[in-house]
Amino acid sequence: MFDSSIIPRLEEVVGKDRVLVRKTDMMTYSYDASFATQLEPKEPDVVVIPLSTEEVSQCTRLANEYKVPLYPRGAATGQTGGAVPIQGGIVMDLSKMNNILEIDHRNLQVIIEPGVVQADLNEALKAYQLFFPPDPGSAKMCTVGGMVSNNSSGLRAIKYGVTRQYVLGMEIVLPTGDVIVTGGQKSRALKSVSGYDLAHLMIGSEGTLGIVTRLRLKVLPLPKTRGLVLCAFDNLEDAGEAVQLVYRSGIIPSAIEIMDKYAIRAANKMLPELNLHEGEALLLFEVDGIKEVVSLQVKTISDAVSQYTNFVQFSDDPVECQNLWQARQVVGAAVGNLKPGGFRVYGGEDICVPFSRLPEALRRIQEIADSYNIICGIYGHVGDGNLHTAPVINMNNKTEIENAKKMIDDIHHLAIELEGTTTAEHGVGIVRAKYMDIEHGPAMELMRRIKKTVDPNNILNPGKMALPI
Amino acid sequence: MKLLTAEQSMEMCVRCGRCRDVCPTLDITGREADGPRGRVLMARSLLRGEIAVDEEIEHQLNRCMLCSACEDVCPVGVQVPEIVMAGKRKIQAEKQERGQERLWEKRLRNLVFERILPHQKRLQFVGHLLWLYQKSGLQWLTRKLGILKLFPESMRQMEAVLPDIPSPSERRPLPEFVQNKQGTTHGNETGAKTGRKRVAMFRGCIMDVMFRKTNLNSIHLLAESGFDVVTPDEQVCCGALHNHNGKRETTIELAKKNIEVFEQLDVDYIVSNAGGCGAMLKEYAELFRDDPEWLERAKTFCSKVRDISELIVQEGQLPKASGRGERVTYQPSCHLQYVMKVKDAPQKILQQVDQIEFVPLPESKLCCGSAGIYNLLQPEMANDVLDKKMTNVRKTQSDVIITANPGCLLQMKAGLYREGLTEQVQAMHIVDFLTESKSPATDHSADAKTSSSA
Repeated sequence: MFDSSIIPRLEEVVGKDRVLVRKTDMMTYSYDASFATQLEPKEPDVVVIPLSTEEVSQCTRLANEYKVPLYPRGAATGQTGGAVPIQGGIVMDLSKMNNILEIDHRNLQVIIEPGVVQADLNEALKAYQLFFPPDPGSAKMCTVGGMVSNNSSGLRAIKYGVTRQYVLGMEIVLPTGDVIVTGGQKSRALKSVSGYDLAHLMIGSEGTLGIVTRLRLKVLPLPKTRGLVLCAFDNLEDAGEAVQLVYRSGIIPSAIEIMDKYAIRAANKMLPELNLHEGEALLLFEVDGIKEVVSLQVKTISDAVSQYTNFVQFSDDPVECQNLWQARQVVGAAVGNLKPGGFRVYGGEDICVPFSRLPEALRRIQEIADSYNIICGIYGHVGDGNLHTAPVINMNNKTEIENAKKMIDDIHHLAIELEGTTTAEHGVGIVRAKYMDIEHGPAMELMRRIKKTVDPNNILNPGKMALPI
Repeated sequence: MKLLTAEQSMEMCVRCGRCRDVCPTLDITGREADGPRGRVLMARSLLRGEIAVDEEIEHQLNRCMLCSACEDVCPVGVQVPEIVMAGKRKIQAEKQERGQERLWEKRLRNLVFERILPHQKRLQFVGHLLWLYQKSGLQWLTRKLGILKLFPESMRQMEAVLPDIPSPSERRPLPEFVQNKQGTTHGNETGAKTGRKRVAMFRGCIMDVMFRKTNLNSIHLLAESGFDVVTPDEQVCCGALHNHNGKRETTIELAKKNIEVFEQLDVDYIVSNAGGCGAMLKEYAELFRDDPEWLERAKTFCSKVRDISELIVQEGQLPKASGRGERVTYQPSCHLQYVMKVKDAPQKILQQVDQIEFVPLPESKLCCGSAGIYNLLQPEMANDVLDKKMTNVRKTQSDVIITANPGCLLQMKAGLYREGLTEQVQAMHIVDFLTESKSPATDHSADAKTSSSA
């Protein structure tokens, strides 16, 4: 049971203003962007908003002393319930720790607090012609701390990789309240193999092992221009072959995006002027770099894909690129229009399958959807086989909600069957915990033991990732 | 008109969080309940009857500035301000039913919203009283005697920055017709190109009392930019304040009156110089979803509504204007940029003025905290937002801060007053700035300076 005598102690640490206990506060800290918390919100008992490592540390120490669950949270834009308090207790909102502390541009690194929003970081880096590459669809709202905790990525992962590759070091508050720095206490090195790489244990641990309070991140030179090739295919398999051919031409695009026929239809519905060819698939190749190289790459890619389709558009002009990119930009919101009063469900939204099985995956997801009489659009990062499925339902129809849940379950099982994974970049949280044992087998036991060692009282984000409640 | 009703859009929120970054109140406190997602959930729960009407929920919904920044960025078009207002209407209705509305509050609301604002003559009378207060020495006396200390800080602030009200004789009705200056003086191709469009000036209610000079300047600026300008005297308040405060019926009455008045005129456009009013006019159709006859009339009306800077950029020709080397920044009006979707016209116009240096204002996407009468109702939050705004204004090292809405203008003045910057920085309506720039020698215009400090 929650021991409310912790509240005045928390108030001593951060002040009354930043300890929230009102009913409306509990309501509004009960969700993230997941379908699961739309259906079943989970309220905390208290919310704290710390502004410094010291405050985080002291609040965590108190949680450990009182044995109260503590749920670290960034902007709560996650789709897995990862930051949601399923056991009541404390939610720690870290979004106000959002200072960019240092842009060490000559050493290609930045030091920031965890609450900095990805887009704000990149805005600040622009002045130095640098950028932080991992760019999830939620770049304008997600915090970098949340990205690190979920090891998120995004469309440019094919060329630039995932968040993990950019974390040089981090300051972490452990479940006991102790503070450590990984990657060398004073290091500014861009590479290090000194000691166990603890940062990489923490990255993607979804706040179950520690709370990120400071990050040292690698950044890269900002590409000067980008070019796009948009092409449509009447046949899914042809789209797959086209991608293979582009690879064989020696190019690593910065993104390769796919939209299936329903996603294309949705985009056309929202913006009729796009006038996209409604075949089985639409591919968008993006390349970046200096202008001359970009122009050449755009030409090479469009030549390659032309062997499989006649519907090809390309450009290296910024304005035209923006127009071509619009289809991909609007699709996430546009799928809602597939049905009047449609609500886009985030569930089964992040599977990843081997590239060779993508056409099969796309077809079978649509078969699953048909079997439940649900309409859905599919889009995603074809470059690494990561598919975002978007079922659209009516939220006041109980049958549709139940069917959507079953459909989501089927999609996750399909991913495992096709030698893929249930989640490529969004995380496990509560919504994919039940697949962890199937995916990992005996390795799950070691994960539980690690958790027990680092967090003996099970204070931090308990009940997530199939770890003990 | 919008595809969905507010109530339908309320069901569409997937809580992606896109709105977090643009919300001025969330920016201050970081509390989810001070952000759009939280407000949608709270209002929705209230409207569905899942939670009861009480002081806490009322307080929470009242903290929304209704700036519409969230709706502007929402990928699925959730109409947050409308949803919050629907929640507030339910609270008001239920309080009335329970007889819980405080009597003085009810009377004051009634007086302002029903008895004064809809009646321009009565509002002008209030203007007379204000003028008398300022000119009779009463203002001097109250300030000297420190009587203002008895009032809350927000009222004192506003009193201090109140513009000099023009005398009753200076506030005679606006000219009914002003012919375009380009057509008559030049009669050249440019004049023909602008087509001597005929436009109607929407004068606003408070605007016309407090910022009469800006209205006059607007009419002349339009004429000099190539438009024939009519200003019907029968027009009434746009109803925005009523709508934001749950007075739906009065809003509809006012809208009908304005539609009637303006449809009798043969004009191409209806021009507003206040983002708040323009946005309301632009959304009249939303009021008549269930009234087919008025809906059509409202749609025609809405399609003609333009902001003054938008219209001049699109169809007019700004007369030659030149500054005196000053640094100028611009704080957008939220309703102008988020509801009317006029995002860069004011900057474009300012860039046509010679001899000024335009500096963009950091975080100009965030509301300044004026938000209608929000600054009087929620002074603490409004001042936090304002102080942050002023920190950004300081960063620009500007000599002039331009706005496009009377509420924003007063708020900027209040901000400068709080910061002790009234001597260094001027806050001006864009029309007044342009008027001053096109004729620097003559008219030193429209309450450019704050009427001294207390």
